[in-house]
Amino acid sequence: MGARMLRKLLMLAVLAAVAGFAVYWFVTIPGTIPQSALAAYTPNVANGKTVFDAGGCASCHAVPKEDRTLLGGGMALPSPFGTFYAPNISPHPTNGIGNWTEAQFATAVLKGTSPSGEHYFPAFPYGSYHLAKLEDVRDLFAYIKTLPPLSGRSREHELPFPFNIRRNVGGWKLLFFADKPFVPDPKQSAAWNRGSYLVNGLGHCAECHSPRNPLGGIVSAQKFAGGPNPEGEGWVPNITQKRLGSWREKDIAYFLETGETPEGDTTGGIMTRVIKNMAQLSPEDRNAMAVYLKSLAPVDGPPRPPKKETRS
Amino acid sequence: MIRGIVIVGTLLLGVGVVAAQQDLVAQRATLMKANGKNLGTVLSATAKGDKPYDQAAIDAALNVLEDTAKKLPALYADSTKGLKSEGDFQASPKIWENKAGFAAEIDAFAKAVSDVKAKAKDLDSLKASLPAIGKQCGSCHEGFRVKT
Repeated sequence: MGARMLRKLLMLAVLAAVAGFAVYWFVTIPGTIPQSALAAYTPNVANGKTVFDAGGCASCHAVPKEDRTLLGGGMALPSPFGTFYAPNISPHPTNGIGNWTEAQFATAVLKGTSPSGEHYFPAFPYGSYHLAKLEDVRDLFAYIKTLPPLSGRSREHELPFPFNIRRNVGGWKLLFFADKPFVPDPKQSAAWNRGSYLVNGLGHCAECHSPRNPLGGIVSAQKFAGGPNPEGEGWVPNITQKRLGSWREKDIAYFLETGETPEGDTTGGIMTRVIKNMAQLSPEDRNAMAVYLKSLAPVDGPPRPPKKETRS
Repeated sequence: MIRGIVIVGTLLLGVGVVAAQQDLVAQRATLMKANGKNLGTVLSATAKGDKPYDQAAIDAALNVLEDTAKKLPALYADSTKGLKSEGDFQASPKIWENKAGFAAEIDAFAKAVSDVKAKAKDLDSLKASLPAIGKQCGSCHEGFRVKT
């Protein structure tokens, strides 16, 4: 009996492995937006610039220390999983996105999938961007096309195994990527809905202002409650009413414009780059974000580690 | 005996020097806080419409900022490199690694303040000119301040 039984078991094991891999392969198929989903449309380039500013594209994709319209990439983005280097998204035909179709661009921003059909790492915040309206993304594409093409190529990401396997990002998406469009809340004002759209979608505030679990997913119960800086040292503040309770809507709007808190301190670090983007928006948009942020229920963030003792 | 006095004296001197450096660090924090207070509760509060426009108060606040710009360079003396401050923020080591860059930030701050001083004559001109100061605060904090 021994040999036959063993062969059967072996067959079963092989079948299970094949089935398991098939499931893995199936559930990690990168999502796309087909060309057929894009109806005829005349893009609004001016709105594209607003989308560009609201989305903070320049913060990572602009060449470090250069003008915000020079999207040659290269900025290093450290993370617990390795270091990412922002790619060139200028309209250069070979090293940028100059030869991309509109559907490929929409697929990248809304689905986190590259033109070659691979997953992007979620350092590219499609976890938030997928809430963007398709028209906004098409306008953004038209705006980026008006910017100067740059030929530089950024370095390869430095990621250790298994984080360097792009297919595995499909598993991450399965767990943490809620691929649902933005739905306005009819009970709220137009300003609140616009603010919610900007804060949750393009603004991708939650990407830094929320704690993350060990797999890098946002802890949804503590969204916006702050946490350790994903890019390195320090702490990202809680932006729920737990901490911003004393800020009025106009204080939040003024902060987004100037980087200045009601106490007169002026923000530093990576938030400085965010303020440069927000300062480009209309006062109405900043006010809408303030209205929405002011409505966030107070939530306790993760406990802050005790401060290190003074050392000389 | 004399040797003993010299040793003790040297030690005391050493303690005194270290204390003086730590004092510079404390002065920086005090100065920055005063700066922020003048910006937040006078200049920006007026721009936001929380306070009525008062030219004397605006000028006084701008004078504090101008004075700060003059005092700042000496407070970041080489001897204070590596000394830790109390509170949420620290001076970045980049201040001493990129001295020219840091000096340029302070110069730009001084220029922004004198620009606003020249231009702010009523609420509208304050609103239009003031953001340049905050922008400069942010520019220096971006590269030369560390949050702990």
